[in-house]
Amino acid sequence: MTILKVGAVFLVSIVLQLTVFVDVRVADVAPELLALVAVLAGFLAGPERGSTIAFGAGLLWDVWLPTPLGLAAMAFATVAFAIGSIEAGLFTDSRLQVSALAFLGTFAAVISYALLGEVVGQRGLVDVELLRVALIAGVLNSLLAPLMMRPMTWALRGPLALGGPAPTRS
Amino acid sequence: MAQAQRTGRSRHRLILLALTAITLLTVDLNGFGPIESTQRVVRDVLDPVTSLAATAVSPIGDAWNSVFNYGDLEDENAALRAELEALQGAVIRGEADTETLRRLLEATDLPYVGDVERLAAEVKYGSVGNFDDHLITIDKGSRDGVGEGMAVVTGAGMVGRVERVDNATSTVQLISDASLFVGARLVSTDKVGLGHAVPGESGMFVIDRGIDYPDTDDPTLLPEIGSAVVTAGESSYPADVPIGVVRTVRRSTDEASMRVEVELANNVDDLQFVTVLIVEPPSEFPLGAILPATPAGVDPELETGDEGADE
Repeated sequence: MTILKVGAVFLVSIVLQLTVFVDVRVADVAPELLALVAVLAGFLAGPERGSTIAFGAGLLWDVWLPTPLGLAAMAFATVAFAIGSIEAGLFTDSRLQVSALAFLGTFAAVISYALLGEVVGQRGLVDVELLRVALIAGVLNSLLAPLMMRPMTWALRGPLALGGPAPTRS
Repeated sequence: MAQAQRTGRSRHRLILLALTAITLLTVDLNGFGPIESTQRVVRDVLDPVTSLAATAVSPIGDAWNSVFNYGDLEDENAALRAELEALQGAVIRGEADTETLRRLLEATDLPYVGDVERLAAEVKYGSVGNFDDHLITIDKGSRDGVGEGMAVVTGAGMVGRVERVDNATSTVQLISDASLFVGARLVSTDKVGLGHAVPGESGMFVIDRGIDYPDTDDPTLLPEIGSAVVTAGESSYPADVPIGVVRTVRRSTDEASMRVEVELANNVDDLQFVTVLIVEPPSEFPLGAILPATPAGVDPELETGDEGADE
């Protein structure tokens, strides 16, 4: 059941990315919704499950990206693992902290994606624009994170979490 | 103890995922067919969903554009721009056609772009992510006869090449992408070289491979400023598709070759309709022999000291 719910979140995210965020951009930079799913998966489900879900999100995004399959998957899984590995006590689930985490996670995911891309020979990913893109995408994802927390919590924790007590990390 | 076991298991999972990703990267980079087919199936399956969703959410995009892009003025400008580009393209084509006709009369064998089968397509969307600025997706795919490597044009000239083909859609690599090399012919001198867009300089294209700089100072041997540049007959695309007009001419750093800067005829930043030329590209890149291992750059000294050549 969780797989179906996570799949539904994936589907909605990719459709939004391919429709709404083709036009809705800030300084020509779009939010990275699949990266946000990956970051929140690491946060909510911990390093093991979170990195696996993040890998799936990255793999789906790779299907539309011009870079080879597996690049975003590896970047997202690594970032989700890092976020999931942070000690649980560090976080209370305030919106501010979730947003801060989304910013840092997205920034790291975008930079990792570009660096890994250069490593495997994809030219033009690391340039003067990279920092700008990573920063703006991070800010946009941090704004979207509180909205995305609800469906991610529903997918990973079940209906009790919707409007119920704050989710706790495993 | 339990915590350590969990951490170890998590690391093993990450290593497994990394190995899976590396395997996928390796087989995809080597052009493993089933990987590409699987991706194509996923895109084809989701295409109706995204098309339907795009219609449903289009008011959001329109509202955003109307606030930040002055909606009505944008439409009007797009129409005027298309008209202007078509006129510019006609001028360049006319020049190229005249030259081509002359060459044909001299018993040369140059193909004529007017005979090529064409397919009109609408641009579905531009870049979907933050690292694909030079890609657009059009609403024609393999079921319409589109194939990888085909040239995509507008009335103004070259737009790019078909990079990826799905059943109902195709992805086009724009000529503004510096990694796309195009065989170009300078109409005024009939020299052929390889060119590509200039990174960070919108609308600029440079031919920096394959054309020797003349040994003498005779300015008539240099391409005229403002003269037309079209696709070469020996390139991967149909001949005589307008690319742009010559802006500057100078020596490259190797002193022997010529560097020609070209202003692109087409503004590929805001396309709505394009035409695919239904011609299977050659299996091998015909101009590959003139592709050096490293690109020839511009000598900064010559850039300031060789102004005469520009004019």
